[in-house]
Amino acid sequence: MGAITLEAISKSFGPVEVIRDVTLEIPEGELCVVVGPSGSGKSTLLRLIAGLDRPTRGRVLIDGADVTARPAADRGLAMVFQSYALYPHMTVRQNLAFGLENSRMARAEIARRIDEAARMLEIDGLLERRPGQLSGGQRQRVAIGRAIVREPVAFLLDEPLSNLDAELRGAMRAEIAALHRRLGRTMIHVTHDQIEAMTLADRIVVLRDGRVEQVDAPLDLFNRPANRFVAGFIGAPSMNFLTLPVPGPGGAVTLGVRPQHLRLVERGLTVRVEAAENLGAETLVHGTTVTGERLTALLPGQLRPRAGERLVLGHDPADEHRFDTDGRRVG
Amino acid sequence: MSLGARVGAAATAPLRALAAALDPAMRGWQRLAGRGGMIGLFLLPNLAIFTIFVLVPIGLNVAYSMTGGAQVFLADRPFVGGEQYARLLECENHLRPRTCRDDTFWTAVWNTARFVVLQVGLMTGAALVTALILNRSLPAKGFWRAVFFFPVLLSPVVVGLIWRWILQRQGLANLVMVEGGLEPVNWLVDRFWAFAAAVGVSVWAHLGFYALILLAGLQAIPKDLYEAAEMDGTRPWRVFRRITLPLLTPNLAVVVVLALIRAVQIFDEAYVLTGGGPGTATMFLTQYIYETGFASPVRNPGLAAAASILMAGVLVVLTLLRLSRQRRAAQR
Amino acid sequence: MRGARFLTRRRGVAGSGRGWHWTDIATWVWLVGGTVLMFGPAVWLVLSSFKTPAALAEFPPTILPYAQQTMEIDGRERPLFTVTTPDGTTQTMAELRRVGIVAQMVDPAAPEAEPLRVNIAEREPLREIAFATSNYTEPFLRFDFWRFFRNSVFVTVVATALTLLTNSMAAFALSKYDFRGRNAVMLLIIATLMVPLSVILVPLYSVVSAVGLLDTLWGVILPTIATPTGVFLLRQYMLTIPDELLEAARMDHASEWQIYWRIVLPLAAPALAVLAIFSVVWRWNDFLWPLVVLTSTRNYTLQIGLNSYAGELNVQWHYILAMTVAAIVPVVLVFVFLQRFITSGIASAGLK
Repeated sequence: MGAITLEAISKSFGPVEVIRDVTLEIPEGELCVVVGPSGSGKSTLLRLIAGLDRPTRGRVLIDGADVTARPAADRGLAMVFQSYALYPHMTVRQNLAFGLENSRMARAEIARRIDEAARMLEIDGLLERRPGQLSGGQRQRVAIGRAIVREPVAFLLDEPLSNLDAELRGAMRAEIAALHRRLGRTMIHVTHDQIEAMTLADRIVVLRDGRVEQVDAPLDLFNRPANRFVAGFIGAPSMNFLTLPVPGPGGAVTLGVRPQHLRLVERGLTVRVEAAENLGAETLVHGTTVTGERLTALLPGQLRPRAGERLVLGHDPADEHRFDTDGRRVG
Repeated sequence: MSLGARVGAAATAPLRALAAALDPAMRGWQRLAGRGGMIGLFLLPNLAIFTIFVLVPIGLNVAYSMTGGAQVFLADRPFVGGEQYARLLECENHLRPRTCRDDTFWTAVWNTARFVVLQVGLMTGAALVTALILNRSLPAKGFWRAVFFFPVLLSPVVVGLIWRWILQRQGLANLVMVEGGLEPVNWLVDRFWAFAAAVGVSVWAHLGFYALILLAGLQAIPKDLYEAAEMDGTRPWRVFRRITLPLLTPNLAVVVVLALIRAVQIFDEAYVLTGGGPGTATMFLTQYIYETGFASPVRNPGLAAAASILMAGVLVVLTLLRLSRQRRAAQR
Repeated sequence: MRGARFLTRRRGVAGSGRGWHWTDIATWVWLVGGTVLMFGPAVWLVLSSFKTPAALAEFPPTILPYAQQTMEIDGRERPLFTVTTPDGTTQTMAELRRVGIVAQMVDPAAPEAEPLRVNIAEREPLREIAFATSNYTEPFLRFDFWRFFRNSVFVTVVATALTLLTNSMAAFALSKYDFRGRNAVMLLIIATLMVPLSVILVPLYSVVSAVGLLDTLWGVILPTIATPTGVFLLRQYMLTIPDELLEAARMDHASEWQIYWRIVLPLAAPALAVLAIFSVVWRWNDFLWPLVVLTSTRNYTLQIGLNSYAGELNVQWHYILAMTVAAIVPVVLVFVFLQRFITSGIASAGLK
């Protein structure tokens, strides 16, 4: 239960095409994270799955059944909104019960589900409060609770952690992962935060301008990015791209090396230091190559290079990525 | 709960009970007609009433203005073309109502024009002064605001009666005159004073409303502008001329246009106060329309309709002005 | 607020805050003068409404309501006077009858004694502060005032309820749905802002007459409920309710009607309250339209009833004044409890 398939989905708002021909298969029980820069269409994609928007072309299937024309409420999905969208005039209990009451569920069953979800999320003490009286983290839990009580075939989470501060975000990330393990249901999680994507996902979908750039497990994405965009988007600090003096095998014109993979060596690339940031355990060096290309290196230890000083950097050939003129990965 | 939430809850409780009762039927309708059908349903009551009681009358008004006779139903009324308009507009000299075919109409027109200029001018000035004063730091601010505001809620009939009682021959006004060593005045019988009373009472009744709008405008002016001016050592009068007034102009424009729209339609309180008299000294346009159409021994709905269309022309211009001003004020 | 002091504090000597600047004096003159001018008439109305017809006819009038004292002698109420006797002393006496300028008076302590003949120039009525409450009770009992009052309450309550319902439904559709023709509907509503009632008086009368509502309270109510101002105010407020809430409700199996009354109505409560208050005041105070529609006395609203009493040849001011006060009471109650609410409503929505 909860396998979701998108078949050649496109969505236009007027003349603007937001989703372009997306085909995606999310197997049952997977935690799939959709990541992309803002405006890449990731929220729209989620809303198309939820049924809040209708695709211009293509089909949405849940467990093999075409639900493209089915209204949001009848797809068996639950959504956690970015703003949480808790009903401000209802208590937490009423918030959780609202959807169940609407589908004419027996009172006892509603109470049972609310109790269970409240215990699981440790919001038992908050049931009689209103959303306005809760902290950000508590609201987040209630929003998730409202999804859980519906016992959906799949959860859709739209940037659920973006309104939390950094510390809380880390904690909630772990909780969502735990929840996923415990419930075993399909989850589609949309975020612009690649760390969230890397830590949570079974598989990551990278989206840009409404197109799927790559779908892969987190480490595969990091180690073998399919193109320059994914390579630059995943991993912090971003990958360095250097123009190859002569095209390599397979038409490779660009060389990509992650800043973490650069080391001080005897013979290699000479870089003029422009600035250095000491992070404690590591030092982030910004510089330019002889050909004037910008480059960053994350070097272990506490270095104190002066601006204008020249460093010689090198890397393990196994850590390099090569891309052709269209930005596609070579090799 | 805040006051607003409590009042709101009280106001919406019966509404929600009604809505709850309709719930099953509405569910059925949505299943039948879809979301589009529901949108239609949400709009239907309001639009139906609009259509019947506003749109249809607007159309009918034009038709009425081209018919004659005293019958109420349009079908019974003979077509007369532009005759009603001709009757209203024909004058040897428009500035002298006596030379006009319908001298009452032109008396009403000029009375209204004079009233509009005087009332709007006086009221805007008084409202501005009141707003500036209420914007100072005063003890018991709420009380002072209430003092100037409360007549706004009184009905025009009540306003008219209060002042009729005060301005009667043996009323409070004359008591004050006598105590002050002056001759008592027969306020509502004297043409000049009756008109002045109509203007003054109208200002009295509506001043608070406009003062409140201006006060809101004043309070929206960022305080740091005044602090900056204070740092620059700007003199108070200059602060008023160069900061307060320019920043208040959009609100002031809204107030003036709104007051103009209201003043053109002046009827209720003046009618109760003076009944249009003495003679026709305080006869205004709306009263002319009302009496021509409904109250005179020989009713002439066609003439009343024609007069109201002429008045509507003025109001349309003013309303367009208001909307553009409001938009501009909102943009600031 | 701190910066406001610059313009608002008492100016005083060189801005020191001490002493009086001319603007301070002007402020207090304006405030005190304003209070006298704004409150004075209302206070005068209330005081006058408790005076007897005789006291109302006096000039110069007294500030407080006085009534002549009376005493029962021989089964009749006799007025009391302070009489200046020929020897220069004063004495309280009751008048038995009066012929021309001479009154027959007795000492109330010894009513059986021979009446004294007193020139009316040598006596003063003995008066005390008294509230003529019969001014209030009689119109309710003898006239149709109670009926007018009930009619007004009916019109106000029904019109307000219908206004809230129809306007909130329309505002909901216009703020929360995207549909073809939405702009056309908005434009139509804006256009009706330009057509106040006084402009369509004649045709509206014929429409109301055609649907058979002439001289009925429903004829007063129906044309007033589709207020463009109300739709605007509510729409503006509903636009601030996040769409995600509605989507969450949709995912929660709520029907569109449920979204309207279980989500949007409660959340728009503050705006509905403002509209409710204004609608109450508008409908309670309406004059011109009821004046045109209502022809038989038993259907009059309070305002029309008051006006018609005040228009009679022999104006009975003592009743009129008392009824006027009674007509103000509901509005004053609304004002006292909701003043802050009303004023902020005006400031934000600019409606009246």
